[in-house]
Amino acid sequence: MKSRNFSSLPIIILLALVSLPLVTMYVFLFVDTISDAPAGSLIPTSFTLEHWRFLWEEPKVGETSIWPVTLNTFIFAATTSSIVMTVSLMAGYALSRLNMPFRRFMLAGLITLHAFPTITLIIAIFLILQLLGLYNTLLGVIIVKTALELPFGIWIMKGFYDTVPWEIEMAGVQDGASRFTVWWKLVLPQVQPGLVALGVFSFLSAWSEFILPQVLSPSGSGQVLSTYLNSLILDDTRPDFNMFKSVGLFYAMPVIFIYLTFQKKLMNIYGGGSKG
Amino acid sequence: MRILLDSFTKTFGDVTVIKDMNLDIKSGEMLALLGPSGCGKSTTLFAICGIHGMDGGRLLFGDKDVTSLPSQKRNVGVVFQNYALYPHMNVWENIAFPLKIQKRSKAVIEKEVQAMAELVQIEELLDRKPVQLSGGQQQRVALARALVRKPDILLLDEPLANLDAKLRLEMRSEIRRIQQQTGITAVLVTHDQVEAMSMCDRIAIMNGGKIVQLSAPEEMYRNPSSDFVAGFLGNPPIAFLEGVIKDSHCHLHGGETRVALNGHAQKVSDGQKIKLGIRPEFFRPEFDLKVKGKISFIEAHGRENLYDVVLDNGDILRSIQNHDAQYQLGQEVTWGICQDNILAFDGEGERL
Amino acid sequence: MKKPSHLLGLGFMLPALIVVVLFFLLPVFMTAGIAFTNMSTDTGITGGAYELTPNTIHNLRTQGVDNNLLAQLETDVYRIDEPGLAALATDMGDKLAKELGDTHGGVTFQSRRELERAIKKLKNKPRSTRKLKKAAAFFKRSILNQRFETESEFVSATRNLGLDLAPEHQEVLSKASYTGWTWTTENFSLMTKLPSTLRIAGNTVIYVFFTLTFNVSFGLFLAITTFYLPGKAAATFRTIWFLPRILPPVIYVLMWKWLTWDTGFISTFFGQFGVPAKNWMLDTNFHAWVVIILINGFVGASMGMILFSSAIRAIPAPMLYASEVDGATRWQQVRYIILPQLRWPILFITSYQTLSLLTSFEYIFLATDGGPGKATEVWALSAFHQALANYGGNLQYGYGAALALVLVIIGIIASVGYLRVFNFKELVARPRIEQ
Repeated sequence: MKSRNFSSLPIIILLALVSLPLVTMYVFLFVDTISDAPAGSLIPTSFTLEHWRFLWEEPKVGETSIWPVTLNTFIFAATTSSIVMTVSLMAGYALSRLNMPFRRFMLAGLITLHAFPTITLIIAIFLILQLLGLYNTLLGVIIVKTALELPFGIWIMKGFYDTVPWEIEMAGVQDGASRFTVWWKLVLPQVQPGLVALGVFSFLSAWSEFILPQVLSPSGSGQVLSTYLNSLILDDTRPDFNMFKSVGLFYAMPVIFIYLTFQKKLMNIYGGGSKG
Repeated sequence: MRILLDSFTKTFGDVTVIKDMNLDIKSGEMLALLGPSGCGKSTTLFAICGIHGMDGGRLLFGDKDVTSLPSQKRNVGVVFQNYALYPHMNVWENIAFPLKIQKRSKAVIEKEVQAMAELVQIEELLDRKPVQLSGGQQQRVALARALVRKPDILLLDEPLANLDAKLRLEMRSEIRRIQQQTGITAVLVTHDQVEAMSMCDRIAIMNGGKIVQLSAPEEMYRNPSSDFVAGFLGNPPIAFLEGVIKDSHCHLHGGETRVALNGHAQKVSDGQKIKLGIRPEFFRPEFDLKVKGKISFIEAHGRENLYDVVLDNGDILRSIQNHDAQYQLGQEVTWGICQDNILAFDGEGERL
Repeated sequence: MKKPSHLLGLGFMLPALIVVVLFFLLPVFMTAGIAFTNMSTDTGITGGAYELTPNTIHNLRTQGVDNNLLAQLETDVYRIDEPGLAALATDMGDKLAKELGDTHGGVTFQSRRELERAIKKLKNKPRSTRKLKKAAAFFKRSILNQRFETESEFVSATRNLGLDLAPEHQEVLSKASYTGWTWTTENFSLMTKLPSTLRIAGNTVIYVFFTLTFNVSFGLFLAITTFYLPGKAAATFRTIWFLPRILPPVIYVLMWKWLTWDTGFISTFFGQFGVPAKNWMLDTNFHAWVVIILINGFVGASMGMILFSSAIRAIPAPMLYASEVDGATRWQQVRYIILPQLRWPILFITSYQTLSLLTSFEYIFLATDGGPGKATEVWALSAFHQALANYGGNLQYGYGAALALVLVIIGIIASVGYLRVFNFKELVARPRIEQ
């Protein structure tokens, strides 16, 4: 709020002070990836691209190249996000607008699920994947991530549908369109911004996901960047933070880019009581 | 096309909103469903167009029973209060949508949309999106969209409520013109008596889920069947005086004032409660039945002035007079009531 | 009345319903079910076989089962059966095998010496002692360390040993040698007995309480301070504080490790002043807790910041201007105008985050993994460790599920509580098109 009655300088100083640890971490997250500093010093003395060599060097025996892992992560995030969008788009509409049996019951279930801490079910889910033979596959992780993301997605989409005026649908019905046509041609375009936001949100959520791939697909072909980076950190006896940070920054870049692009749209969702 | 509602009943959950309502709308007629909010007029409209199902009774379009037909098959055009234009389509696409649903050929759609645009006079707006239109223009587009597929019936749900005063005046005559030009049977839902009176052939006035009177506007104004109808029609509104009958006179409560009853005298007996309705234009200095009072409020309307006159028992009569009459606030006046135009109602509010 | 939207609605719900049943309902019931089993990596998850191991026998002995019987189970017996004869035939010729089969087929000898004695009496007996021993070895039979897929196979195998077991003994034996999982309430009695239960419960309380306090108060602080800043400065600080939430947890925790580890920022920085390097994250329990709470708090505070910010922005500006005209100081404005408007968001964040903190362990797992020692091991992390990341390698699904079940039950109760807080009636308002 702009008000000339109060000066904002003291607040800026105070905020700058408490933000110092975070800002330090951000700055060095970037600086350390392109520079070297002598041992025992924080000030970088030379520029180098050495820490990024994992991008172009052949991996040593026993190590994995980052590219297939990146591809995995992308497939994981993109698939999860598209399924979440599709299913939420349908279920959200049904719950928001359609007469159907057990509607009250399903809505109550949705709210309960939305609040329910799904991570507590991971043991049972781990065993289900083992029984289904999907343990240690990317497909298994995708299915589980999608499932856990759905109550939230449906909830958000229902919220967007709720804001579409009923009269638009009534007009469509009067104009002779079936309920399906009304949904497809008239209502969907109205919730498109919400859909984009949900898609971006679930993409980011899957891209960042760590626990699920760690537990459900810990080794081999299903590896994603989060588990890749984590095992890198755990494996090394002498931590090479510069290299970790380079991999980390490589992993985080799409996130930061997407966040900056969709900032406004995302805020709607993050403010809407997501997992926190 | 004639519309016939035969003992129509509607319930929401446990609440019966409308019970056994009958309504017969003639072909080519424009009928107003007039009433305060919650009277069931919109519910009736939604039942006619099929958005709501009916819990009892029949609905006939012409000779065809459409009671259980879905909206899509009823061939009814509806204009909604907020117009409900499709925001992502431009005007042309909006108007063309019903025809596209019917899978009509491109050439036909092109021709029909053009014709409609001409009818509602928006030819130059066809490329615009709804947000770029003024309220009146949106209204015209909504009309065009409702009419483009040549519906049997046109329903208008408070079509003027969202317009400003000047546009409302313009659109009133526009809608009437288009209705008459197309000869379509139309139902107008409104809570505004001026709209209903100025646009429609007949008015069905509703209260508490019932049609209380169904007449032509003029007839309804002059000959209301109850105090509710009398009070609902007319602006400035009618004033009511309550009293008791004694010696063929109405003695007003808590005062000395007596009003002679000539035409109504034979219908009443002594001691009966009675309510007299006097419209502002029938309470003026020149009329015979003199009443004394004090001017408590003056409202200048420009061409006319509206006076509130407090009688000695505290009741208020309204008078509308030419603006050149010079009266002061607080002035004691003795004006007359036009005896032939007193509307008398019994204790239940029924017309005597 | 048949309504077409019924079909469309159910069709639209179908994919979601399948997912919900498969990954929410089923897991809830499975968690409850597994909590009452001794399922682990050893027992497997699909069921088991019957196998008598020296270990089993040792256990039975401590349980006071008849020593004689156990000794018999442990010692080998020699049984002249078809597989043994066939093996003998290929190795030492048909004649010996046939003669042995004819004379002693189906007989069980209690020791090797007895069998050797019997073979020596045969016409076609082996020439050397070495060969004799070898021949006898073909008939060595023991159920020790042998897998039997069904109980009846196991029982008949014990019968073949020539043991005459009483049915109750047989039952004890079968039960003890079953390798699959069985139903039990032991997990819960163990949970109440183990001192570590109390420890992780206490850790959870510390974790939830302090993180929550930090989240709410710091979130409020950020929301209010940025509210008073000009647009650009506010946006900058909001982005700084929002990034921890949007950054992948692995990277976010990596930055903290860099900040706190002995080769990291703090050590290096203080090293300039002669302070010896140490791991600021894991040095003491206190260090670990502070870091854990800050790691989680920085993420959680951003949620508070966003929600509180939008609630503050919803306050009509004239109200704030009016207070300024009335001469309110900034503090008074916050105290009397802004804070009272934030009551609901604060309540919401508190209840919401209590539940999610109670069940989350991702950041702790990445940062300290419950250490040093078990200082920062919270309930959810403990369940995870027991069932999915056990150092011993024997994952205790049963016990882990029992721990998780406690959280699942709390979760169900809390989220049903949500139903009451939400204006459910409005939410289920009937669709306005009645087709």
